Amino acid sequence: MITKKYFNIIILSIIIFLLVSIPISAKVDIGGELAASLISIIDDQGNITVYPQQSLDLELFLPTLNNTQAKFEIYLFNNTMSGGFDYLIKKLYLKHKFDKLHLTLGRQPISWSFGSMLNPVDFTLGAMVMDEETGAKYQDAIEAYIPLNWNSSVLLVAAFPEASQYTKWGLRGRTMIEGYDLTLNYVREPEMDFMGTIIPASQRVGFTAKGDLGPIGIYGALGYYFKDNNDGDLAYLIGGDYSYFFEAGNKIYFQLEYLSMKEERLSSLLGSLAWLDNGMDSESNTNLLLTRTSYDINEFSAVSLFTISSLNDLSTIIMPNYSNQISNNLTFNCNFTFFSGKENTLFGPGLIGGIQEKPKIIIEAGFIYSF
Amino acid sequence: MQKIKRLLLVGIVISILFLSLIITVAAEMTAEEIINKRDNNEYFDTAQMEAEMIIVSGSRKIIKTMVTLTDKKNSLVEFTNPQDRETKFLKREDDLWMFFPDAEEIIKISGHMLNQGMMGSDFSYQDVMEADKLTDLYDFEIIGEEEIDGRPCYILEGIAREGVKVSYYRRVSWVDKERFIGLKEELYAQSGRILKETKANVIEEIEGRWVPTNSVMENKLRKDTYTEFTITQIKFNLEIPEETFTLQNLR
Repeated sequence: MITKKYFNIIILSIIIFLLVSIPISAKVDIGGELAASLISIIDDQGNITVYPQQSLDLELFLPTLNNTQAKFEIYLFNNTMSGGFDYLIKKLYLKHKFDKLHLTLGRQPISWSFGSMLNPVDFTLGAMVMDEETGAKYQDAIEAYIPLNWNSSVLLVAAFPEASQYTKWGLRGRTMIEGYDLTLNYVREPEMDFMGTIIPASQRVGFTAKGDLGPIGIYGALGYYFKDNNDGDLAYLIGGDYSYFFEAGNKIYFQLEYLSMKEERLSSLLGSLAWLDNGMDSESNTNLLLTRTSYDINEFSAVSLFTISSLNDLSTIIMPNYSNQISNNLTFNCNFTFFSGKENTLFGPGLIGGIQEKPKIIIEAGFIYSF
Repeated sequence: MQKIKRLLLVGIVISILFLSLIITVAAEMTAEEIINKRDNNEYFDTAQMEAEMIIVSGSRKIIKTMVTLTDKKNSLVEFTNPQDRETKFLKREDDLWMFFPDAEEIIKISGHMLNQGMMGSDFSYQDVMEADKLTDLYDFEIIGEEEIDGRPCYILEGIAREGVKVSYYRRVSWVDKERFIGLKEELYAQSGRILKETKANVIEEIEGRWVPTNSVMENKLRKDTYTEFTITQIKFNLEIPEETFTLQNLR
C-alpha cells in the first residue's frame, strides 16, 4: 500500500513537470491517431450486432531536457459496455538517462516482444497478441535499465497492478551471441483480485532466442511456470519467417509458429480471441499452430492472413486483413475474424460463461487518420 | 615583340601538352581508381542527414521524412513523418534492429528483411543503410563511355565479390568523369534481370564533396512506381557519440 502511495506522488510530480515544461519549451508537438470503424459481430445463430467504434490516441512530443524525457499519451474511446466515452492513459512517465542507468517512472508500456506472434514469456501475458498491442502492457511502474554494452543490458521492473495491493517484479537480461538475440527473464506476479476472483501469486522464468539460419529467420521461447508444490509446467514456442520475391518484384512474407502451453494460461495470452470454458483437460498442454502470410499488392496496399489452429481439437481462427494507405495520413483497414470448430472447442461455437453466444464472425472496417 | 610571341607560343604548346597529359592520365584510369574516387567522394567517416522520401505509384504519392546518422559500418534511421514518427532502425553490420514506438520495444529483424523496401519505398533497408565502400563489395571494370545529361561518364560494371553479402549481384554505373559521382546506376539480379535503376537528378557541392541531393530509384519490375529521395540537410565528418549505434540509444 505504501509503495502505491509513493507511486501516486511520482505520478503527481510528472504531471507538475509536464505542466511546467510545456510552456517553457518551444518545441512541443502533438500527434496521434484518430480512428473510426464499424464493427459487425455475427454469432452462431446468425444474430448480427453492429456498432461504431471511435478512438483518439493523443501524444505529446516533448523535447529531451538534460537527458530527461517526459511522455504523455492518452487513448480516448467509446465504451460499448457503458455507452459513453472512456479513456486509458498509455504513457505518463519521466525517463532520465544516467551514464549507466536509465530510470523510467510512471505509466509506461512494458512489452518484452521478440518477434513472435504470441509471447508466452512476456512481462504481462497477452501484452501483444498476433502483432497487435493490447492495453495490458501499460503499467504503473518503475523501470531501471542498465546497459552493459551496445547489445547487452539488464532491466528491472517494479510494477503496481490495479488488481493487486502488492508489487509485481520483473527482471530481464538481454545479449547477443553469434548473431542471435537472447533474453532471459523472471516475473513474479502478486496475488490479484479481479472483481472478487482471487488469482494466487505466481512466478515464471523465460528464455527467448532470435536470429537467422541462412535465408530464414528463426526464433524460440521456453517458459517455466512455478507452482506452489515445487512442481511447475513448461511452455515452449518455435517459429520462423521467410520472404519470397517474385520475378515481378512483389514479395510474399511467411511466418509459422508452434506453441505448446497449459490451457489455463492461454486465456491471458490470447485475450479476446479465446473463451476457455470448453471443458478441456486443463492439466494437459494445448498445442497451437499459428501462421501469417502477407503480400504487398503495391507500395500502398497489402493483404495478410493470420491463422491460429488448436492441434488438440482442430478448431481454428482465420483472420484475413486488407490495408490501404490512401494518403500521407489516411489508412483504410478491413479485418475479418472467422471462428471455426466443433461445439465447445477452443475456438468453436459455444456459450461464454454459460450465457452469451461466442461470436462466429467479426468484421471491422474503418479509417485511421495520423497527425 | 617577336620574343613575347615566341614565349606565348611556347606557353600554349606546353599547356596543350600538359592538358593532353592530364587527359591521357584520366583516360587511362583503371576501373578501381575510378570507383575509389567515387567512393572517396560519396562515402564518408560519419554523416548526419535529413531526408525526404516520396513514394510514387501511378497518380498516388506518399511522403516519408527521416533523420539518419551513419558511420563506416553502422547506421541509425529515425522516421519523423506523422504516421511513422519515432520508428527507428539500427543497422550494425548485417544485423537490423527496429524500435516500435507504441510498445517502446526493440526487436531484431530477420536478415531477409534487409532486401525489402524500406517503409514501402523502392529503396531497400540495405540501399539506405549500406555503409560499405563499393570497392569492398564488387570487382569493377570499365565497359564503355557515354554522356548522361550532357556530362561525359565512364560506364563501369561491378560484379559481387565471392562470399560477400550484397543486395544486387551486378551493377552498372555511369560515373561523371569530372566530378566522380554516380549519375545513373542499373542494379541486376544474378539471373541477369534488371531490378532497379537509380538516377541522380540534382548534384550539389557540399563541404567540398559532390552529393546527389535528389535521386530517383525506379523499380524496373513494377509499372509506374518510383521513389524520389531528397536530402534536405547533410553534414559530414561530425563527431558521433560512441553510444549512438547501440540498442540503449534506440529506447
